[in-house]
Parts: sequence; C-alpha cells; structure tokens
Amino acid sequence: MATARVTITQPAPAAPFRRDLSGILPYLLISPPVIIMTLLIFFPAAQAVIETLFLQDAKSGQTSVSLQNYSKFFADPVLVANLQFTVFVTLATVALLFVVGFPLALYLRFSKSRIAAAVQVLALFPLFVPGVILAFALIRFLGTHGMLDTLLRLIGFAGYNTPYLHPQGIVLALVWEHIPFTVLVLTAGLRQVEDAVVESARDVGANEWQIFTRILLPLAMRSAVIVFCLNVIGVFGAFTIPYLLGPAQPMMMGVSMQQTFNGYQDRIGALTQAVLTFLVCATVGILYVRTVTRPRR
Amino acid sequence: MFNVRLKGILLLTLVAAMLLVATACGGGAVAPTSAPSGSQATSVPGGTQATSAPVATNAPAASGGTQVINLYLDDDTNITDWITNKMAPAFQKQFPQYKVNLTIVRGVGGGDNDVADRALAAMQTNSDPQVDLIGFDANSKPNLVQAGLWLKLDETNVPNSKNLAKGVKTSDFSMPYRGSQVLLAYDSTKVKESEVPHTFAELITWIKAHPGQFVYCRPDKGGSGGNFVIRAIYEVTGKDPSKFKPGKPDPGLVADFSKAWALLRDIHPAIYDSGSYPSGNTQTLTLLGNGSVSMASVWSDQALQGLAKGSLPPAIKLVQFTDLPFPGGDSYLSIPKNSRNTQGALAFVNFLLTSDVQVSVVKDLGGFPAVDWSTLPKELQQQYTSVIASSVPNWPGGDWTSARDKGWYENVATNIKQGAP
Repeated sequence: MATARVTITQPAPAAPFRRDLSGILPYLLISPPVIIMTLLIFFPAAQAVIETLFLQDAKSGQTSVSLQNYSKFFADPVLVANLQFTVFVTLATVALLFVVGFPLALYLRFSKSRIAAAVQVLALFPLFVPGVILAFALIRFLGTHGMLDTLLRLIGFAGYNTPYLHPQGIVLALVWEHIPFTVLVLTAGLRQVEDAVVESARDVGANEWQIFTRILLPLAMRSAVIVFCLNVIGVFGAFTIPYLLGPAQPMMMGVSMQQTFNGYQDRIGALTQAVLTFLVCATVGILYVRTVTRPRR
Repeated sequence: MFNVRLKGILLLTLVAAMLLVATACGGGAVAPTSAPSGSQATSVPGGTQATSAPVATNAPAASGGTQVINLYLDDDTNITDWITNKMAPAFQKQFPQYKVNLTIVRGVGGGDNDVADRALAAMQTNSDPQVDLIGFDANSKPNLVQAGLWLKLDETNVPNSKNLAKGVKTSDFSMPYRGSQVLLAYDSTKVKESEVPHTFAELITWIKAHPGQFVYCRPDKGGSGGNFVIRAIYEVTGKDPSKFKPGKPDPGLVADFSKAWALLRDIHPAIYDSGSYPSGNTQTLTLLGNGSVSMASVWSDQALQGLAKGSLPPAIKLVQFTDLPFPGGDSYLSIPKNSRNTQGALAFVNFLLTSDVQVSVVKDLGGFPAVDWSTLPKELQQQYTSVIASSVPNWPGGDWTSARDKGWYENVATNIKQGAP
C-alpha cells in the first residue's frame, strides 16, 4: 500500500521498482491459497493415494507396490454394492434435477411476471437450509405417521409407503438440496440466448418444442454440462443426507468411508474408498474443466 | 495464452477440491465423534459440532485459601449443566476449601481423550498438567495405563466406593459415578400387559407375531441398537457376559456371532418398515413417540427424560428383561497421578458417590446410579422396580465392537452374502 502511494506521487524514480512489483505481485497474491492447498490438501492427499498403493509385508517389513487394497475392495460384495448404489443414487438424483430444474429455469427465463420473482426466491430457498436441518425436517414430514402420511389419511389414502430409510428418501432430499444451484446455472445459461434468436425461429414457424430442442438446448448445453458435472460431484460425495435418511445397507460412499474409518478403525480401507470416490469424481471433473475452458464459438 | 493459464488454474482448483474427498479420510481428519455406547451421545454427522471453544489452559490460581479442582468433561449439555448448576455448588458448600473449575471439552478436538494425552505429556516433561479430574474410562486407552498415568482408585481413597453396584467398576484406575442401561420401551395402549416380553426369547416371539411393530437402531449409530445386538450375541453364546474379556476378541466367540446374525436375520423382515433401521437413538424414540412402532430398545436416561419432558407420550412404559438384562454403559472419572490437587479430586469423586448425589442421578438425569440400588431410599427403588436389573452386563468394546458392527452390516442389514474369505 505504502509503496503504491509512493509510485503515484513520484512516478519517475519508482518506475523500475514498479516493474519489479508488477512481476511479483500476482504471485504474492496467489501464494497464500496455493501454500494452504499444497500443505493441507495436495500433500496429505498424495500421501493417501501413495499409501493405498504400497503394501508392507508383516514378516519382513518390506514394502512393495501393490493393488491389493483395490482388489480387496472389488472382492467385497458389500463394498461393491455400496459403490453401485452410490452411482445409482447419483444418476437418479441428477436426472430428476434436470426434470425439475429445466422447466423452472425456462419459466424464470421467459416469464416477466411478478410471480416469477416469488418462484425464484422459493427455488433459491434450499440454499439457506443446512443439510442436517433438512434431514430431520424430512424425517418428520415424510416418516410414517408424519405430516404427509397424516394428510393422506385425512383424504382417505392409507397405502402410504414412507421413503424414509429407503433410497428414495436420499434422492428426494438431495434433489431438494441441489435445486437452487441447478436452477441458477440453467437460468443463467438460458439468459445468454438472445430473445431475437427465439423470435426469429418463431417467425419461420418453429413450434415451442422445436425452439427448445433446436435452439435453447444446444445453446444452453454448456450450462447443462456444468450443472451435470458439479451435481454429480456433489451428490456422489454426499454424507449427511444419506447418513440420516438412507437405508442401513447398501450405503453411499460417504457414509461407507466414515463407517470404515470410525467404526471399523480401518484407515487403509477408508483411504482406498476415498481414492476410488476421487477417481469417479475426477473423471467427471475433467469433463467439467474441458467444458468451462473451451473457447466460446 | 489467457486461456491456457485459466485452464491451468481451473484444473488446479478442481483437483484440489476433489482431493478434499480423499483427505477427509486421510490422517488426522476430524471425524464426527460417534460414541456408540455413550448414552447421551446423539451423534450428529457432518461437522455440525460446536467448534473450537478454546480449551482453557490456565486455571485460575488458588486464591484466598481455596484450592481449585480442574475438572474436564466432554459429556452432553444435560450432564455438564448438572455438574455446573447442582453438583459443584453443593460440593463447594460442603467443602468450602475447594472450588470446582469445570472445563467443557465437548466437540473440542478429541474431547477428554486429548486432555488425557495432555496430562501424559505433562507427566513426561514434569510440568503442571492443570488437570485434576477427567471424565475418562482408563480401559479405553491401555497405553495410558501402561505409562502409569492414572492414580489407583479404591475404597481406601474413595470410601463411598464400597457401595458400588456389582460389576460396574471395570478398572482399578477409573471410578464409575453414573450409568445408563438399555431397556425395552413399549406403548401400553397397543401392547397388552400380558404380552409384554420379559426375556429375550419372548421378545423375539413377540416381534415375529407383530411384524413392523419393533425397531432398534443401527448398532454403530446408537447404543440403544448396539446393546440390543450385544444382547442377541449374549443370547446365542450361553448368556454369559463374563466370557467377553477386554482386549483382543476371542476368535472362537467371534465365530459364534454368526448364530446371532441368523437370529437377527430371522426377525429382519418383521422389523419396522420391513427391515428399516434408523441411524440413531433419537430417531428410534421419534418412531416410538409418533406411534410408527409400538416397541423399541431405548436408553433408560433418554426414555425417562423424554417421558418427563413430554416428548414421549405417557403411555410409553419401560421394562427390563428378567433373565439377562440388556447391557449398559457407565461414565467414569479418572485422576492423573501428576494432579496438583489429588485430595480435592478424590473428595469430589467421593462426593459424587454419596446417596444424595446418586438419587439426583436418577431423579434429575434419568440415569442409573453407580451404587447399588439397595443403598438408595426405598421409595426410589419401588418407583423403578420394573427397570432395576440385578447386574448390568458390560461389553468390553474396542475390537469386539468392530466385529459386532461389521458382522451386523454384512449379515443382517443386507441380503448380500459375504464371499469366501
């Protein structure tokens, strides 16, 4: 700060100094986050990955590179079921998010009414509700003898099956939790499609469905891919919701890791699961990076 | 050029974000503390714990002739409130020379564990641990016992411990001062008095005859479910808790767990919602309270407090088995040898074991006394007659618990059969 002021008042003698500073300044500015990321994230994570790949022989004490931790994971039907379950829940959740999110985003993009503003507030509301609160609220709302069950009984419907402690419970809560992000990004994507484009399509006789599939969808593809990637990553690693609302078995990877680490005191087992989870998320992550960094045409 | 750099930065951020997943399980990550057998522990996942109330490091110096007793507890609010508002003032009134300085380490790092480690570190460097009393079970960390950290506690230095109930004192170095036990809770409007099970076998019969009406929580997520599973293990291994010794589990006994899995698998379809197990003690109470089930295994203190506060309807009644009761859990206090106020700490422990305090454990906490019921007033005994057990079986914990949880998840909660080992 002080030097900056000096450079302004006395520009001539400070010129070489300023050149020096402008070279270093960006690095100085990014150094705190980079140092923190390196020390607290990269280093322990790399250590974790390496640890799962080495095996210490109990007798000789020699270490060797081995995939045994991973083959052990895939030989365990319970753990494989957990992984499959996580993939299934993730895909179901993300698919449902598109089904719910796209109409909402289209409505918010094209409606100019006052109700649209209210709908937007409502769609963003879940952003401000912590996961634990949501989980306990849903237990009370969706559980047997919960509010929904009671209301259905009032109108004479008695065959209610609660999603609480079932996979549907997880999907429902995760969809609710991720609606704000989905709608925000999709709406932003749709806003980039200019009204003129839509109107000219209409002028040449395109119907609503054609406008959606031929114009809006391709032009909003980028946001759709971003929504897909970040939702998959978020849902895949979810913990609180599946912990409180899901079935005992199979469980999602987040819950499984916590249990392996805390309950069974099996650190390497939990690490292996974490690395596998990371691999799945990283694959989706690459797709995300490619989409975001691809130059706009 | 810009794009390349942007791409690089984005990739960096992304990889970092996702490596977080890996680190979360890596070394030293603070995992949510789940206390499987802690009665009060309502383990809430996902980093909702109160964070970093700084651990007081310097105790107020003894002033005006009063000596400070530095007490550390990581128990739930109901317990720490009870100590702060009732026990400490009552003790200080009786022993004006002492002042109880309670530091609550609930949700602070490893809680009492960290304080115990700190006391050991202080012992090794010959410095003041600033700890006189910790809510700690010496059995839970054998290395501290081997290092000679703890003061031996018995009738010579804690005279009131002569009244302790049989079997509650499990270590020479820790003194139990309150307990809790798992009980069977039932809705008396739905379960006829004649049908109430009084043995584990009767309970199994009842569950099968009333599908969907019984629930217990996942054994690792709450002690009310964990002790139900332990009771099933006792049932199939000859109802002799003394066979289960602390330390490395006996492989022969662990092999017998399979019989318990067969038994629990048999009732699995008759559990609430065709075999749904909630993820904690509180959720079980919710299901019982709103009438979703009419019977459940619950912690005595949580059920009694629920009844007192009205979160459980008054029709809920509690009963203990007459053959072999459900196991329970006790809370312990330990004194490090290097405490600077050993006499004060001993006096406080002895005070907690007086009849008056033990009555308060029952009446105010809904807990179980550490002393024998027969040393307490007759009226109290009569009031709790249905839940008083002659003994409280004690499960050794540690690797035994891991074996229990792994076995349950792999054999009871799922249809998947484990492949050949």
